[in-house]
Amino acid sequence: MDEDLKTSAKGQILSIRDLPTLPKVLDEVSRLVQNPNTSIEAIAKVISRDQVLSAKVLKMVNSPVYGFPGRISSIQHSLVLLGINVIRGVIISTSVFEIMSKNMQGLWEHSVGCSLATGLIARKAGLKDPEEFSVCGLLHDLGKVVAAVQLPELHKAVSEAVRERDLRWLEAEKAVLGFGHDRINSWLADHWHLPGTIKEAMSSHHRPERAQFYPQHAAAAHVGDFVVRVFEYGSGGDDQAVPLSEAALGILGLKLGDLDEVMDGFAENLAEVSSISFDSEDGASGKERA
Amino acid sequence: MGACLFQRQQRGMLLTPDAELGALFKRLWDPLEVEWTIFSRGRRAMEAIFNEPPDLLVVDNRLEDIKSAEVAAIVKSENVYRQMPVILCLDRDDFAHEWNWNEIEADDFLVRPFSDREARERVQLTLCRASRAMDANPLTKLPGNTSIISRIQDLIDRKDDFALAYCDLDYFKSFNDKYGFSRGDEVLMMTARVIVNTIRGFTGVRSFVGHVGGDDFVFIVPAKIAEEACRRVVEAFDGIVPHFYDEDDRDRGCIVSTDRQGVVRTFPLMALSIAVVFNTGGRLKHYGEASAIAMGLKKKAKENPKSCYVLDRRAE
Repeated sequence: MDEDLKTSAKGQILSIRDLPTLPKVLDEVSRLVQNPNTSIEAIAKVISRDQVLSAKVLKMVNSPVYGFPGRISSIQHSLVLLGINVIRGVIISTSVFEIMSKNMQGLWEHSVGCSLATGLIARKAGLKDPEEFSVCGLLHDLGKVVAAVQLPELHKAVSEAVRERDLRWLEAEKAVLGFGHDRINSWLADHWHLPGTIKEAMSSHHRPERAQFYPQHAAAAHVGDFVVRVFEYGSGGDDQAVPLSEAALGILGLKLGDLDEVMDGFAENLAEVSSISFDSEDGASGKERA
Repeated sequence: MGACLFQRQQRGMLLTPDAELGALFKRLWDPLEVEWTIFSRGRRAMEAIFNEPPDLLVVDNRLEDIKSAEVAAIVKSENVYRQMPVILCLDRDDFAHEWNWNEIEADDFLVRPFSDREARERVQLTLCRASRAMDANPLTKLPGNTSIISRIQDLIDRKDDFALAYCDLDYFKSFNDKYGFSRGDEVLMMTARVIVNTIRGFTGVRSFVGHVGGDDFVFIVPAKIAEEACRRVVEAFDGIVPHFYDEDDRDRGCIVSTDRQGVVRTFPLMALSIAVVFNTGGRLKHYGEASAIAMGLKKKAKENPKSCYVLDRRAE
């Protein structure tokens, strides 16, 4: 696709003002921040399950306003540095998807599943700071969410191409837009001054062997994406398995057999993760007003 | 009138040929609140302004011997006086031309005719604003030395029980030497946020955080939460600070550098040392005592290369 479309799409993507999330986690966090006795740890735990809230918090703490752009990759640290007043402000100003909520649900489950898997892989590979890898997994498909909000027509076209032409999401994006969500991720990460580790996981999780600075982060997110798709938990927009890059395993110093243990760990923890239903209707019926 | 806005008597100076205006200002405040010195001629006042700078200068544009803008320019061009807030007193006709507020660095203006109440509120707002802005640290925007000292002295005078914590960074200099000042500033900004948010995390207590300068910070909390506050600040700082190093140093856990004699030296990652002085039972009489005790404790805290805090045990 031509450069003009790319330039205008990039402008659209980066001009995002209001990135909505799903109501379930937002409600829970809203309740937590209203209670003055809530610990930062408790808030961090909940925000770490929501790609949009996590992205907002990381974007804010890494903005030049705070004076240390690109340094903070942990949700917990972000919350300590932002403080409860700012967190409250972020939560209050976050809206929820009015429409498309159903489509987004799968993407949210995919994201939180990938976060779990990526963290497990980092632990298995003996990497430092596995929490940071979890964040990498959580945000690896954020570009898809932003594209859905900012480029709704094109997003629909991608979705149709996936269905009608039996393409993987990334292939469909390339066919329709001329670039993928990996590129969108890279624009966002740069624009928001996110740390290099997270940026590289976001922009290179489909091609970890090409990662320039933090191949381990890109590789872990890649394998995490693979694992969550094997379990068919959530949806990255298509129902196809991603080809597993041998190079990614090599970068992590893992053998194919090591994934068994990761899969076991994933299966064990999935219950906890999948207990977070992103389904708002489900939630609404649970707390009917008297 | 409600509670007094100011911790001490404010000294105002009014330059006006208008006797009525002078009388009004004198009438508007109890002299214990704001004491006014009035000059009817501008030039005559300059020496007094320089010798005994007031907390606020109000200049009437009706002065015959000097323009009000010129008075403001003289005051604001000198670094030692430029914090002094200046209010111009104007008439409607003075708006026949545009005012260049970049050249005339006044802080506010009043336009005749104004009500008594309006003049009073305008002046008080300006005084409060000036005291807020006065000594904020330019980097972190936290209150600076003047505010810190007056806060401590105020608590001492009121015989309040409190804990005063002095924090500073170990190995900040070696970090700065290797990574440069702007990376050093990143660490100071981070440290400020960590301290502020940790202290604010204790809800329902009176607290204060200030930035003495460089890598020195101060916080004041009730004595009973002091140790927990130190523990939380240290924990948060230690978790975050490694991310301000490049990957190789972070993995190694230290900085390696060669000094001017060619000797290779290693410096640990930065750590936070905190010394806490307690004022219980009104035992402190003066701010200087608190800082003297704290400096002694800090030496002890510094013996430990890791982050740590030392509490002044004498108080317990």
